[in-house]
Formats: sequence, structure tokens, C-alpha cells
Amino acid sequence: MAEMQVADKGGKKGGKKRAKKMSTRVDLTPMVDLAFLLITFFMLTTTLAKPQIMALVMPEKDVKKEDVEPVKESKVLTLLLGANDKVYWYEGITDAKLDSTGYGAEGLRKVILDKMEKVRQQFGMEDYEDFKTKEPRKGSFLNVIIKPTEEARYKNLVDALDEMAICKVRYYVILDVSDLEKDFIKNPAAGLKFDVEEQIQAATGGK
Amino acid sequence: MPKHKPKRGNPTIDMTAMCDVSFLLLTFFMLTAKMKPAETVVIDTPSSISETKLPDVGTFTIMIAPDGRTFVDMAGQHTRKLLIDNLNDRHRMGLTEEEKFKFSISGSFGVPFNRLKQWINLDNASRDKISTGIPIDTLDVNKSELAEWIHNARLAQFQMKQEGKVKDEYVMVLKADKETPYPAVQKVINTLVDINVNKFNLITNMEADPNKVEAKK
Repeated sequence: MAEMQVADKGGKKGGKKRAKKMSTRVDLTPMVDLAFLLITFFMLTTTLAKPQIMALVMPEKDVKKEDVEPVKESKVLTLLLGANDKVYWYEGITDAKLDSTGYGAEGLRKVILDKMEKVRQQFGMEDYEDFKTKEPRKGSFLNVIIKPTEEARYKNLVDALDEMAICKVRYYVILDVSDLEKDFIKNPAAGLKFDVEEQIQAATGGK
Repeated sequence: MPKHKPKRGNPTIDMTAMCDVSFLLLTFFMLTAKMKPAETVVIDTPSSISETKLPDVGTFTIMIAPDGRTFVDMAGQHTRKLLIDNLNDRHRMGLTEEEKFKFSISGSFGVPFNRLKQWINLDNASRDKISTGIPIDTLDVNKSELAEWIHNARLAQFQMKQEGKVKDEYVMVLKADKETPYPAVQKVINTLVDINVNKFNLITNMEADPNKVEAKK
């Protein structure tokens, strides 16, 4: 294998010293084996692909009452993330009708886009400047409130946030589900009896 | 016809080129390698269309297992050392210098303060057994151990930044399993909001963006 033949020194008197050609071949097969073994090891242990992240900004805890800006309820869509991958949703608060759908293109996305269209017909589009490129853009006035219930899984929350990104909803917030809404899911026929004052109270913690 | 005798070729192949290539690759992988930290729980993250990559800065990761246990992990050996120094004094954990060093080089953990000493001295396999998750007090944020870890880790990282040992402050990262029930996630999010960390990142897998898929069609 990796042998080197050392040539005898042909010691002839007066003769020119001529290096005898010797085999300089080294068999590199084991070395390659080793190298590939190590490559495999490092390939498997590296985390080459960095994970994707989704930025999330939560509302501040202490919201003052004077900072609360009322939103027209016709611009609001509330999503209640329920058990078994079901989304309950209702528009506005007055005479709210509870409906349910699934996640995905035919379900939640359709609901959001339909509502967006309704909002667009009523209020038009909002002009805004792109945060990075400073280009003028047009966005919807739609406000989405995401309220995961206790039965929801984390996947549901991420899916809902994902729909916000896909449908380019600019205003969305994650809030805790209220007892009124829990009852609403159980008994949709009874309707939702939200009081605006109560809502502000709940959002600001009475401050 | 004479029998065609195949010529006996020289069976040795010159391995030099192959060796060159393989060592080049080896060098590449060795230099880019970032060892996977020992993970106590396997977390299968949900997917999203987000294409933002995790920035190459120090991260403070909160992991939530499907059973609701919470683990934390923070980058930076120096920061971890400073952090454990501070917390050791405050909670009288009685850690020796060696144990502190061990902590500073280990990965994610999910034990209450009073179990930390025991956790450090266990091997990886048995650590999982005593990992009950970091206690979260939803009513009083001052008693919540998770809040204390986050708060002190950020302080430690900030101090390291002042000293010039690290470049950035911690980026908060939340890594939860698909199947984690929402109340467990809610507890963590509420804790973060309580200590005024309103902006954080959720780790997700890649998923095709339907807008772009349609545009291609």
C-alpha cells in the first residue's frame, strides 16, 4: 500500500550520483475514507439552515383610556380559535352572527378576503408608505382580532397569524377570549351582548 | 478469430484529486459547523410563509413542549456565567465554580431554581427526568421564575455588551410545538408582556407562500 521504496545508494566510484526513480505514490484511499467520514459527521451535526422566524408584537400591558382609539365596528373581524382546528368568527359586535370555518385557503382565508372586500367597498383603501422602501402602497382598513380559546393549539395561532401575512392584514391583535365569547360559542343563538364601555374597561384594565 | 483479451489496466486510481475535494469540503463543514445543542425535548414547530431568517445574534429561546413544560436556552458562555453568578447569590443555590462553568456551557434547561444544582450534576439522559419545566407564576410576575430568568439574562447580556464582549442584545425567540395547547403559550406570552418584552419572534418552518405560488402559475 503506502510504501516507499528507498533505493539503494548505487555507490559506483566516479559515477554520477543519480537518484534512482522511486515510487512516490501513496495510496490515498484510507485518507479519503477518513475525510468523507468526517464530512458526513459534520454535515449531519451542523444546523445549516437557520430557522425561519415570524415577528410578533403584542400590545402593551398598560393601555391608558385616553390612548384608546375607537374603531368602527364594521371594520372589525373577530376570530375565535376553537378546538379541533375550527375557527369561529363574527363581524363587528352589534347583532353579531357566529360562523365557523377551517384553516386554509377555502376557509379562513376566504372569510378574511371577503371581509376585506366589504371593508373596501365601504371605506375604500388606505394609503400608507412601505416601511422599508418608502413606496406608497394601498392597504385595507380591516382590523382583525385573534382570540385563541383554551382549546386551541399553538399551531392554530401560527396559522391564523400566517393568514394575516398572506392576506396582508395590517391591523391585527391577539387578545384573551372573554367569558361572553365563550358563551357565544356554546350558544350562538343567544347572541353576543358586548357593551362598548365594558370592552374598553377590559382592554385598559380599568385604568 | 483470435480471442479478444481485455487489456489488464492499472487498477490504481489517483486519489489525490478526490482527497483534495473531500478535505476542502471537510474544512468548509468544520468551519461552518454550529453544533446542535443537546435538546431535552423534541419540538416540532408549525410552518408559516415567513421568510425571515433567525438573525445571527445572541438569542434567548423559550421552548414550550407539547405537554406544556417550559425550557429556556440562552446563547453566550460569558453571559451565562454572569447570569448564574447573579442568580446563585440571590437564590442561595450553593453552586461551586465548577458547577457554574458546567452550566455556562450546557444547553437548554427546564428546572426550578432549587433543582438547578441537581440538574447540573446529572448526565444528559437523566436530566430529562427531573426537568419539570420552569415555573411560571401567572398572578405575580415577581414570583415567576421564567420572568426572573428572562429579566436577568437580558441584564447580563446588556452588561456584556457594555463591556464589549458581545455585540447585540438578546433577541427573544419563542419556540413551541404544533400541539402545544394555547394556555401554555399564553402564560409565556403574558409573562413576556408583563416584563415589557412586547416584541419577540416565533420559530416556524418554511411553507410555500400562496401569493407567490399563484404568481408563478
